[in-house]
Amino acid sequence: MINKDVEKLLLKVQKPGRYVGGELNSVVKNKDEIDVRFAFCFPDTYEIGMSHLGMKILYSLFNERDYIWCERVFAPWLDMEELMVKNDIPLFGLESGDAITDFDFIGFTLQYELSYSNVLNMLKLANIPIKSKDRKNLSQIVVAGGPCSCNPEPLADFVDIFFIGEGEEVDLEVIDLYRECKKENKSKDEFLKLASQIKGVYVPSLYEVKYNDDNTIKSFMPKDNAPAVVEKRLMMNMDESYYPENFVVPNIEIVHDRAVSEIFRGCIRGCRFCQAGFIYRPVREKSIDTIDRQCHTLCNNTGYDEVSLSSLSSSDYTDIIGLLDRLNKWSNDEKVSISLPSLRVDGFTDDILNKIKTVRKSGLTFAPEAGTQRLRDVINKNVLEDELINTCYTAFNGGWTKVKLYFMIGLPTETYEDVEGIAKLAQNVVDTYYRCENKPKGKSVTVTISTSSFVPKPFTPFQWFGQNSREILMDKQKHLKDTIKTKKINYNYHDADTSYLEAVFARGDRRLGKVLEVACEKGFHFDGWSDCFSLKNWLEIFEECGIDPDYYAVRQREFDEILPWDFLDYGVDKEYLIKECKKAYEDTTTPHCRLKCNNCGAAKYRGGVCFEKCKNMV
Amino acid sequence: MKNVRIWFKKDDECRFISHLDLNRCMLRALHKSGIPIWHTEGFNTHPYATFPLPLSLGFRGEKECMHVRLTEEYDFDDIKNNLNKCLPLGIRVYDVTEVEMKARDISFAQFKIKMSCDEISNDTLLKYAEELFDKDEILVDKKTKKGIKEIDIKPYLDRVKLERNIGGVYLFVVLPAGSVTNINPLLIQKAMNKYFDIDVFFDVTKTDMFDKNLKSFK
Repeated sequence: MINKDVEKLLLKVQKPGRYVGGELNSVVKNKDEIDVRFAFCFPDTYEIGMSHLGMKILYSLFNERDYIWCERVFAPWLDMEELMVKNDIPLFGLESGDAITDFDFIGFTLQYELSYSNVLNMLKLANIPIKSKDRKNLSQIVVAGGPCSCNPEPLADFVDIFFIGEGEEVDLEVIDLYRECKKENKSKDEFLKLASQIKGVYVPSLYEVKYNDDNTIKSFMPKDNAPAVVEKRLMMNMDESYYPENFVVPNIEIVHDRAVSEIFRGCIRGCRFCQAGFIYRPVREKSIDTIDRQCHTLCNNTGYDEVSLSSLSSSDYTDIIGLLDRLNKWSNDEKVSISLPSLRVDGFTDDILNKIKTVRKSGLTFAPEAGTQRLRDVINKNVLEDELINTCYTAFNGGWTKVKLYFMIGLPTETYEDVEGIAKLAQNVVDTYYRCENKPKGKSVTVTISTSSFVPKPFTPFQWFGQNSREILMDKQKHLKDTIKTKKINYNYHDADTSYLEAVFARGDRRLGKVLEVACEKGFHFDGWSDCFSLKNWLEIFEECGIDPDYYAVRQREFDEILPWDFLDYGVDKEYLIKECKKAYEDTTTPHCRLKCNNCGAAKYRGGVCFEKCKNMV
Repeated sequence: MKNVRIWFKKDDECRFISHLDLNRCMLRALHKSGIPIWHTEGFNTHPYATFPLPLSLGFRGEKECMHVRLTEEYDFDDIKNNLNKCLPLGIRVYDVTEVEMKARDISFAQFKIKMSCDEISNDTLLKYAEELFDKDEILVDKKTKKGIKEIDIKPYLDRVKLERNIGGVYLFVVLPAGSVTNINPLLIQKAMNKYFDIDVFFDVTKTDMFDKNLKSFK
């Protein structure tokens, strides 16, 4: 519903469709019949947030309860924010157009560290006190979930409750508890204490952190019976786990404008740089029947003519061919195309290609991640150069002429030889094109190399690693650029400055709260966007607060140091991460979960890939 | 193959869908409804629909029109009902007809505009509007493909009616529209702001389209 005050501003801003709601399948309820109003905030623009699958799942799940009304809230773009502030219009929910100031829950999904400034800015725009201790009543409960919750500490001063792990069950348990507490006129403190007893809930205000003189953590102690270790929640049976039959269909074009089915959670591979590969363990698949039904229902209910099979590595689905065959039974007749993102180099086969509708042969993207075999062994990206070359050969023979290759620079143990290896690998792909007999006639090949700078993340074997300094990263970028001699290879790289700030917040502690608070006062926002991001401005704040960002990003940590996120249990033992880290420095790989169980600890959940073999034996 | 015109209203939230997004939105609804429409036969085949006179972003439309080709017989009432089930509430199909006139016959569009201004009373607003239309020449900057050009809109303003009622100040105007000349009603808003140094708000509804003889488009 359009907020009356907003209406007059809409023609003065870019893409007003971002701010009006009213899409097909959006949920409008009568607010007098509601007990709990939940503002689901995505701390980025509409087009980005509306592409996020987690939000779609939770939005539908919450709204299925008749006493909850969940609305979507996005960060207004710069032009709209300016007008809203000028006209004194608080941040509003798209479904009702109401200000979210007095909502019961303000929930954020934390997808990337650079969105933290937007989280605080959105609270500010909603006229909600940003600090948890300044919100005294049982209302305006600020909750957060998503991958960045695995190190919640930088946001500990602001968020009342973090959801650790997957939200389908724990979110509702907390909402129901709130509803009870509200009926019984309990205080916010009482509610938070009760909430902390729910598995998967972390209430930062119930923990006390003490520091050593060198600023490392001395102790991390729970108060008021809060658990010393907070365990993640996860859905073990993906076939019975809630999945929406309907998506809100945006009226304006968004980034991923299609139906999505999640085919499994987790990843068998164990690439050592990848946080998702560790925090979502174990791999849990949906059955072909379930995926088929969900895809078909979603396409029917939304009108989308494209469905994407989403996962961390789609070709690792145990029966991907069987799945595609099943979907093709109706998809061709109904003019629906199937897309498979996240294809591994070794998962790109003729068989798969023939079954996914590839109308536009515009480009193929692969992620070898590192330029030499040695470094790929260090990071446990078990992809061989030959596999990449064979895959490209197949693709070129199939009519493709553009290949995009993703790499990281600044990985542990990386040398300049490894950096040069990136250019050599790209050159090898170019040469492969000219070896192909069936390559498209009269067309040249384009290989695009894209490098990002490695950011060490919590719960990975590289969580102790000191990130390369910005100077080294930029020098490596320059070296790679100088190594490339042909115009058939394009080189793009991500700005090292953003990766540096990301590294600071990814492994930061509670002391960073002060920095974020000042940044919010100064009006920082949209740091994930080059329109707004300025490392210089951030460094000034760090200086002002007397905090050295290098301490978090660049410092090499010891195995025996207490890390800010050690109190969280994501199912993978710390000893296992230490073992993996040591193996990395010995250039030794670890086989993936289906080849061999490496005893990471996730088997304690009694399901998923850890027990696939047992299931087959029965 | 049968050509049909699908007539719809575009209002509420949906008036903020741009023309490009409206096209996408309609195609998705057509796909969902299962109405058998013709797809292009090119390299990248897609369902085909055209719009004789696109509506500007932010305007309400009382008589909007989309043109599609059916590959099989399909009941007109079913088209209407099935499409409405698949469209956001801000877009409502109200009629489906055979094609009578050609899209290029459209020469004029009729608008109903509710004017409002926080700084002045409705009576003053009405007086200003009357004054504006009494001028011999009304010069405003118009954005064209070649840049900004100052034009005189007075010659196009021979079918103007002002009305003051309980709801506010209304302007009814017929302006050139179509493939040859297009005068956007917001140029009048621009002129008001320029001549009287105010910030007037135009809530624009396109109510009809006409051919060169002012015959309603069918």
